[in-house]
Amino acid sequence: MIKLVAEMSLQELAAYVATHLKSRQLPVVLVGGSCVSIYSNNKYQTKDLDFVERYHNQRSLLRSALQDIGFIEQHRYFVHLDAHYFLEFPLGPLAVGDSPVNELNEVVTETGVVTLLTAQDCICDRLSAYYHWHDQQSLQQAIWVALAHPFDLAYVKSWSEREGMLAKFETFLDKLSSQQTK
Amino acid sequence: MLEPILGSISKERVLMYLYAREKGYAREIARTFNTGLTPIQKQLESLEVANIVYCEPQGRTLVYAFNPRYPFLKELKALLEKTLGYYPPEEQEALLMVRRRPRRQGKPL
Repeated sequence: MIKLVAEMSLQELAAYVATHLKSRQLPVVLVGGSCVSIYSNNKYQTKDLDFVERYHNQRSLLRSALQDIGFIEQHRYFVHLDAHYFLEFPLGPLAVGDSPVNELNEVVTETGVVTLLTAQDCICDRLSAYYHWHDQQSLQQAIWVALAHPFDLAYVKSWSEREGMLAKFETFLDKLSSQQTK
Repeated sequence: MLEPILGSISKERVLMYLYAREKGYAREIARTFNTGLTPIQKQLESLEVANIVYCEPQGRTLVYAFNPRYPFLKELKALLEKTLGYYPPEEQEALLMVRRRPRRQGKPL
């Protein structure tokens, strides 16, 4: 029996929506805070699921596909009467900072499969918000993911260098190591 | 100049203004180009939806600037820089030569 939308966790709802959209030839990738939530074992909690359409932006097709599973567009968001989360589809391209995303991860749940940023790109994505918006919450989110998942530090460093943000990368490293020792 | 690519003269004006001045609000942009407010507001909104610019409220005004996380920002700015070089000198000056340093309050002109 299919789980009710009202009973779905963030991960399950993301998988349910992504699987439905994929069946309509609308592949999407989960990005943003909901990835942090998944990779940090819910240390960070969010109410919105941000998806980027993988290749093209087809808002009208999206609207009609989501309507079939009970999501209605309200302003820039899609809401469902029973769901605990709402959906947002920021316009692509799928990128982390200045770089395109080439590698993705998949999470399988009983409600379907969701494609999402890898933990490493999730760290870079949060760092990008910290680097450019000076957002300390995003820095903490990057640290939570980094503490919970192995990642390639050299890659994150060279990516930070390409973003022109080596000084802030050092701050990330300092805070990461101080939280590792706690 | 970029209208054939962008499909809108107002969009070109908004992008050129933000490139030259780094930030701005709708009324100020419309005034600079001596054009209507509504088309400028519409373009700012559509650029914000597309994550190319972002806005921050300052008092009752929405101030817009380029989104530093937009993945094509470097390339877009390179295009705008080249385009600005093709503008008539007086238009370049109107966009670029604006006092940016602070002026003490009450100072006689």
